[in-house]
This record gives sequence, structure tokens and C-alpha cells, in this order.
Amino acid sequence: MAELTAAGEQGLVEALRRGDEAAFASLVEELTPSMLRVARLYVASRAVAEEVVQEAWVGVLRGIDRFEARSSLKTWIFRILTNTAKTRGAREGRSVPFSSLGGDEPDGPAVDPDRFLGADSRFPGHWAAPPRPWEGGERLVAQETLELIELEIAKLPPMQAVVITMRDVEGFDSDEVCNALDISETNQRVLLHRARSKVRRALEEYMG
Amino acid sequence: MRALKFLGEGRVAPFTGLRWPVGEWVEATAVDPCREGVHALRPKDLPYWLGRELWEIELDGEIVEQDRKVVASRGRLVRRIDAWTPALLDAFADDLLRRTKLRVGHIANVGGYVGDIARFRSQRRYGLAAFAAARAAELSGGAADYDRERRRQAEWLAARVAFEPTDERRS
Amino acid sequence: MRLDRELTCAEVVELITSYLDRRLRAADAERFEEHVAFCDGCSTYFEQMRATIAATGHVRNDDVPAELRDRLLATFRELNST
Repeated sequence: MAELTAAGEQGLVEALRRGDEAAFASLVEELTPSMLRVARLYVASRAVAEEVVQEAWVGVLRGIDRFEARSSLKTWIFRILTNTAKTRGAREGRSVPFSSLGGDEPDGPAVDPDRFLGADSRFPGHWAAPPRPWEGGERLVAQETLELIELEIAKLPPMQAVVITMRDVEGFDSDEVCNALDISETNQRVLLHRARSKVRRALEEYMG
Repeated sequence: MRALKFLGEGRVAPFTGLRWPVGEWVEATAVDPCREGVHALRPKDLPYWLGRELWEIELDGEIVEQDRKVVASRGRLVRRIDAWTPALLDAFADDLLRRTKLRVGHIANVGGYVGDIARFRSQRRYGLAAFAAARAAELSGGAADYDRERRRQAEWLAARVAFEPTDERRS
Repeated sequence: MRLDRELTCAEVVELITSYLDRRLRAADAERFEEHVAFCDGCSTYFEQMRATIAATGHVRNDDVPAELRDRLLATFRELNST
């Protein structure tokens, strides 16, 4: 379902309007995990995030007759979710500033500058010790490795975790993620880049 | 248009991983040929892209010439360039060494590039050797010398691959 | 001393996500590819980033909690029974 065409999406919207439960169930399966992650950014607990997601789906079902396909269905659903989550978060007087969820990382490179040669070298900015190719590429999709990746994602600052999950685990495209999180293209890419660099680093240690 | 293309061992494209067929047209998938599209080179671009296998390629459709490569909406491998061998690349690196020694061999610090190029040659890292030679040239004589060195490299290689680019389009 | 003709490895590794998202200007994308063509360290790193992204795609996102799914389906039936 990650590659819904315009025609496919139209069919899905019609199925929902017709009350097709299977269509709804599969959409729930596809989107709810990411919806929970996003909701969790705005509210204080997992339990409240589930309530927010529930409320958002009700909003989707109530509003589906009015959906005009000016944006994609996914984008529209996530906008409902984000609005619901923000309202709920405000009501709870949540005090954590949203922007800090990037993880108070200073601006700077995602790869440790110590890995590169200094300005006085004949090859400034080049690898001091180039990364070694990984042996046994098939290990990358083994269960153990996937668990390692999941663990690493869980350690990421929340915004980085949401972005890498939506982009690389779920296959949302860049526009969909920006709309869902109400962040700029550039911001989204920086978060994604940091997240991916960290996961790669964890894999490097593991594969080495 | 006839042009050149580098591929990895077994005709595998370095950036896409695609294994190229011989003699069959390959179409680029995207509408914007500047970003996607079949990448190819003119003889002057050779030093920037040194690869393992060198092929002559026929390009067609929308063709855009860029700084250091050509991008087309379709391409077809015509023949492998037999002259492109490890021995040729070793000789190329020898020429880089010779020129770099002359240029900077006597200068402290910058002279170190001579040893670097020799080491890269023995490691078969020819692209890096060519880059190092151009870099040494730029340090000793500025951006114009960088360009001059790259042109020398291109001329040396082009003279040995027996390729005549034509502007004929398929009718 | 920064030379003006090339990207450094330190810069290239920071551009990978932009390159893969096709957000680099054509000239910058060309510099990026050129560097990766001659630099085996960056070529390896680039491959590893791509492998990381591909492997991440195999991770299954958390399941929908069963209770939540049941509640949602119940709500759906309710809303559609009128």
C-alpha cells in the first residue's frame, strides 16, 4: 500500500465512504503505527497518544465525505492527527517545547570530524582511516541486525526517530513527512540525515 | 551521439547498480534528464571518472552536455574499448608521477604528493592518483594549473583509447 | 587550505541524504559523484548508507495494539450503521 496511485487512492476513499470494513482495517494497519509515534511527540504518555489516534480516526471517518483530494489521503489524515494531538497537548499544558524534540544536538556534522584529516594534511577533509567494506551483506537483513536497527532508532531523539521511521521503515515520501510533522523540507532532511548516520554507525560497529 | 562510458566489472553501473546489456537501448526513467538519465563522457571527461571497464556508447533522445559529463534519455553500449587495461592505467599513473615530480618534487610538503601518487599507483587507486596530481598542480600554480593538469591527463588518455566522437544523430 | 575544485570527504558524507533525495543542484550532484568515483572511502561509506536505508526498510514498525484496533473497528461499524 506504500505506492498508492491517484486512482488507487480514489478507490480507497470510495471504499471508505461505502463502509468497506476491510479497506478501513488495512488503512488502520498501515498508518496507525506512525500515527502513534507522531501523536506521542505532542502528549505526555502512550495511553494519551492512543486516545489521540482514536479521536483522529473518528475525525477521518466523519470527514471522509468532505475529503476533496486536494492533498493526498495520507497527508489529510496526518493533518487531522496533528491537529488533534496539538489540541490535546495544549489542553494538558504540555511544557516541553516541540523544537527540543530534535534532541538538543548542536548544529554540526553528523559524522565525527575526528574521522577526517586536518587542515594541515595534504588531503584535508579526507578520511583519516577510510571505512572498511562490510563483509557478509546478507547479515544485514538477518533478524538480529533488524533488532539492532530498531534499538538504535529507539535511542534516537524523538523527532529523528519519527522521521526515519516514516521515511525509511514506512516508505512515506518527503512531502508526506513534512506535512505530517509541519516542518520544512530542509529540517526534515537534516533530521533524517542525522538519524541515518547514527544507524549506519551502529551497523558499522556490529558488522566490523 | 557517440560517447564513452565507464562501468564496473561485469558491466555494472557504479551509481545505480544496473548491469548494462550490450547493443540494447536502455531508457532513462525520469522526465528530468539532468538528474536522471544515462550518464556518459566525452574524451575530456575521462580523468574524472576512471573506472574499470570503458565502453563506447551511442546516445539518443534528449541529450544534455554538462560540465564533466553528458546525460541522455537513452543509450546503447556499442563496443568495449580494449585498450583500457590495468597496464594502461599503470602507464597513466607513471605519467602523473613524472609530471608531478617535475612540478613539485623539489618543494617541501607539496613534494609529498609524489610519494602519495606512487603509493596510490601501487594500490591501483588511479582516480585518487589523478586527483592528487591535479591537487598538487593547483597548490603550486593555482586553479589554472589544476585545469591544465586535468587537460593533460585527458589528452594522454584520449590519445590511447582510439575513440572518435561524432555528432551524428540517429535518423 | 581549501581548494576550490573539489569536495572533501567530510563534506561528501554530509551530502548523501540530499543527493539521494535529489535535492542537490545538478552541479553539486556532479561534484558529489565525481568525488565518490575516485574516493574509495566515500564510495564505501555511500554504499553503507544505502545498505543501511535498505535494511531499515525491512524493519517492521510496531503493530497496532489489539485493543486499539478493536475499538477503531467498533467505531467504524457504529458510524456506518446509520
